[in-house]
Amino acid sequence: MSRSVNKIWQELLERTADGKPFDLSEKSAIAGISRRTFLEVLGYSTAALALSGCRAPEQAIVPYLKQPVEFTPGVASWFASVCGGCSAACGTLVKVRDGRPIKLEGNPDHPLSSGGLCALAHGMVFSLYDPERLRQPLIASRVATWQEIDNEITQKLGAVKQSGGRIRLLTGPITGPTSLETFKKFLAQFADAKHITYQPVSTDAIRQAHQRSHGVNAIPSYRFDKARLVVSFGADFLGTWISPVVFTRGYAKARSLQNDEREMLRHVQFESHLSLTGSNADTRVKVSLREETRALLYLAMLVAESVASDNASGFSSPDLAQLTYKTRAALELVASELTNHPGSALVVSGSNDPDVQYLVNFINHAVGSYGNTINLTATSADNQSSDQEIIELVRQMNAGEISALIISGVNPAYDYFDRQAFINGIQKVPLKISLNSTMDETTSLADCVCPQSHFLEAWNDVEPVRGTFSVNQPTIAPLFQTRAFQESLLRWSGDGRSFYEVIRQSWREKLFPQQKQYATFDEFWDQTLQKGVTVSESAQSNPAVFKSDGLQEVTSRLISSSRETSDDLGLVLYQSVALRDGQFANSPWLQELPDPITKITWDNYISVSPRYAASSGLEEGRIVRLSKGPAQIELPVHIQPGQHDNVVAIAIGYGRTKAGKAGNNVGGNAYPFVTYDGTFRYQAFGINLEKTANRVEFAQSQSKDSMEDRPLVKELTLTEYTTGEGEHHSEHGSLWSAHDYPEHKWGLAVDLNACVGCSACVLSCQAENNVPVVGKDEVRRRREMHWIRIDRYFEGDREEPKVFYQPVMCQQCDNASCESVCPVLATVHSSEGLNMQVYNRCVGTRYCENNCPYKVRRFNWFEYSHSDPIANLALNPDVTVRSRGVMEKCTFCVQRIEEVKIKARNEGRAINDQEIQPACQQSCPANAIIFGDLTDLKSRVAQLKKSGRNYTLLDELNLQPALSYLAKVRNREEVSSLA
Amino acid sequence: MSLRTAKIISLLVTLIGVAVVWQGSNFRGLGNQQGYQPAQPINFSHKVHSGDNQIQCLYCHSAADKSKVAGIPAASTCMNCHRQVLKDSPEIQKITTALAQNQPIKWFKVNDLPDHVVFDHSRHVTAAISCQTCHGPVETMERVQQFDALSMGWCVGCHRTHREVTLDETGRPTVTKEATTKRLMASTDCSVCHH
Repeated sequence: MSRSVNKIWQELLERTADGKPFDLSEKSAIAGISRRTFLEVLGYSTAALALSGCRAPEQAIVPYLKQPVEFTPGVASWFASVCGGCSAACGTLVKVRDGRPIKLEGNPDHPLSSGGLCALAHGMVFSLYDPERLRQPLIASRVATWQEIDNEITQKLGAVKQSGGRIRLLTGPITGPTSLETFKKFLAQFADAKHITYQPVSTDAIRQAHQRSHGVNAIPSYRFDKARLVVSFGADFLGTWISPVVFTRGYAKARSLQNDEREMLRHVQFESHLSLTGSNADTRVKVSLREETRALLYLAMLVAESVASDNASGFSSPDLAQLTYKTRAALELVASELTNHPGSALVVSGSNDPDVQYLVNFINHAVGSYGNTINLTATSADNQSSDQEIIELVRQMNAGEISALIISGVNPAYDYFDRQAFINGIQKVPLKISLNSTMDETTSLADCVCPQSHFLEAWNDVEPVRGTFSVNQPTIAPLFQTRAFQESLLRWSGDGRSFYEVIRQSWREKLFPQQKQYATFDEFWDQTLQKGVTVSESAQSNPAVFKSDGLQEVTSRLISSSRETSDDLGLVLYQSVALRDGQFANSPWLQELPDPITKITWDNYISVSPRYAASSGLEEGRIVRLSKGPAQIELPVHIQPGQHDNVVAIAIGYGRTKAGKAGNNVGGNAYPFVTYDGTFRYQAFGINLEKTANRVEFAQSQSKDSMEDRPLVKELTLTEYTTGEGEHHSEHGSLWSAHDYPEHKWGLAVDLNACVGCSACVLSCQAENNVPVVGKDEVRRRREMHWIRIDRYFEGDREEPKVFYQPVMCQQCDNASCESVCPVLATVHSSEGLNMQVYNRCVGTRYCENNCPYKVRRFNWFEYSHSDPIANLALNPDVTVRSRGVMEKCTFCVQRIEEVKIKARNEGRAINDQEIQPACQQSCPANAIIFGDLTDLKSRVAQLKKSGRNYTLLDELNLQPALSYLAKVRNREEVSSLA
Repeated sequence: MSLRTAKIISLLVTLIGVAVVWQGSNFRGLGNQQGYQPAQPINFSHKVHSGDNQIQCLYCHSAADKSKVAGIPAASTCMNCHRQVLKDSPEIQKITTALAQNQPIKWFKVNDLPDHVVFDHSRHVTAAISCQTCHGPVETMERVQQFDALSMGWCVGCHRTHREVTLDETGRPTVTKEATTKRLMASTDCSVCHH
């Protein structure tokens, strides 16, 4: 007894913050009160509380003064719009409840994204209700009205106009035809004016290479859905490259086995660090940065020899001795496969070196990809930045040649590679106007701040791919005194119209005459708004021919630059799936989204290979200092299986200093390591790595990498699948009597062959179900609250692991282990097969959590709800906000089930298959999650569960889950000799 | 604390304890707002409107058959009639002023369920359950009050007995699935209201 008391005190003593033991003799404030008095006070206060509880609560109801006809209180309205998270502009449906947008879902009718959305898009609702957005215009940090600031700016711009000074408009990629027109009109007022597009993560090389190879200055559309073989050189097209949602859709479609297909797309990835895309490849070949280029050269040579012999003369071979045997063998195989796939292969590269991209174009040309898997007609209008322009701008600013600079939607003071030069330069500009919506690193340097509205608050139009137009419609009036940036430019052009009128005018004049379907413009406009998209048929085909004249020059340049040198440790900078370029770093949703590969939250890190870590004596979490010239960064080390030994990798987008409460000082800023050589390069050599004495613990949502020989994720080869060899059916007897499901039995299938691990479902669920964010420290204690998690496993060799993803949420077991241990019946089985969690009954024993083998239950250790009146607007009113001490978990989105059930019953009809879609399924870009009624044998989910790939997780426990998985299939038997 | 005070307190505690045990059913309803009848900003009489003048409930509470909530009518709905009827009454003047000043009217919620309960009006109204079943004889109320307990036991009491479908000996509905979805039993699954 005394020993255990001592032990508790011992712990308390250890826990004092300053290291001093507790002084037990000292009397605390409470020490003066006797036990009796304490109980007395407690009694009175309890009585007072109970009495006050008897008073009637006064809840106000405030109805509209004039009822808008299109709204029914309590019923959600849906608006077709586009996502403004990046320039890919995926089609969205915005759910608006009682006047406030609360959720973005994919628009299934959109021809490009066809219903998919990424994690970033789901985080956009949070950015709308970010309490740290700028709320009114500022002149020299002083609050002003729009009238005042417009007068001030018009006057100053007038002076620039008079003096003939140089004015520059610096924006992110803008695809909207009307926005571009507005820019033109605004800039036409000045003698020397220019619109400069800047994108911190540039794909300028693809544009330049196509200019060189085809005479088309554009980024083409890549059609992964039409490809049967994809060879990627470090392009993370499923995670972050150009338009990941569209690519994931196409990729998943081409790999789908959901309709008994017998063949699927094959994907080979050559890369230096493990990317989301590489982790999904059928064959992944680990190469160093320079080896990546050499591999491409060798592949180009092999392809040239076998297909396009007329160009083969242009090739000199790279030093074959510098390619590993494995890489060479893989390349030779890939080359023969490429030639066997004329017109259905696709080669992509993530490099921003125009020479590399030119070579990629050559291979694609040789294997007949242009016109088939690559579309040079419907070119991608996004990523239109020319890196050279911002370099020139910064030079001019520093030379004092710029009279006025208008910035909108970009933040070069944070993400420009030489940010000091930008900061110095901007201070020499007499008139600096920022139209950004937060007080970020760049805006804080501006004289006039004219905050722009969030994309959910403003009209806009976009054309992400030539000929595909969408209108971005507002779904809420601006929350603050903000204005669309186009509208600001209109004011300063002396145009008093709203941007809405301008868009309509321009559509009336340009797009309306191009179509024949609708007779009047209003009809055309209304239909476009309703569908969210219109495709113009007038896009002209462009018979571009490959120009091979530069081939010899390019290859010889690449051969010399890719030669291995002594300082061969390379740094590669990549975008993380959640934060991308860091613009939305102030979203705690995005910060707490575990990285698909590393499962680390709230941090960036230096990834090194296990072998490199061992040889340099680095351990997980050891802080190292990485430097190259003036660029320096201190970050913890993460040991990453599957990474090349000569490569270290860092995610950009972290280390913001003026993002806001959630984003400030999370991780370190790696942009200073970007270099410029005609285009921005996201690789560096000659880096110096120094160990420090410090070490940190990562906030990781999963710390175990291995499946420990349990068949958690099942994998088949394509042959095993087509011959039915891999099928395995198990039947268990049960002591429990079976449940009776008189009406429905909800079930879900997760297709592991489709799932790429992009984590969009995690955030979709978070937005739908009011899932709180807990913060770095609590994630370290494994107390994250996500209802759906994506387990990631590395199997096999640590140097070249196979990667598996498995979304795990509540499995809604029939023989549920949670139900049998709850002492208060707070978790019980429903008549439709759900394990219901009743928050108001739960007393927080956590027995259910302990007894759940899938570990999907989440406990509210703290009161996570808060009283921020702005941020709380993002809450879904259909889902209870849980309080402290309550257990919660995935409900299969029971609020959506009930909504559809009620709707169907009110209309006197049965529920249609796929009418109910939980949040995770709705916007999954890969169509990996399928929900439905298992009693309806014709439903899609019931059909899928009959597949030979179907299995349940931890089958041996016989919990009879309603959720099952469809085994992953890798299309790689041909290369098994290499493994 | 003196012995005397202690005696008094223990006596009080005993008395309260006896009361709790004896009148248990009353204490169980702690938080029950049955009979709650707050004064509203406008002296609106349901008796005059729905009783004397026979105006349908759905005329004002127009969302009740389509939405979770029944909806409180917008000021513009009142003015549909009151532009002509009794436009000089001081109570109607309050609405006219509200519209003129663009100041919405703040009513007090009478029937208030806890935040962890979801109740859907449309399902009940469409299933031909009259408004009075839960809200009582509103057409006789000058000032509306909460008529019933609106407690869980009260809800489930109905849901347990209102099974519109006959079951066969195995407990399955005797009609086809399509037909059952048209007129099905009231569910007693927790998640129907708690999610």
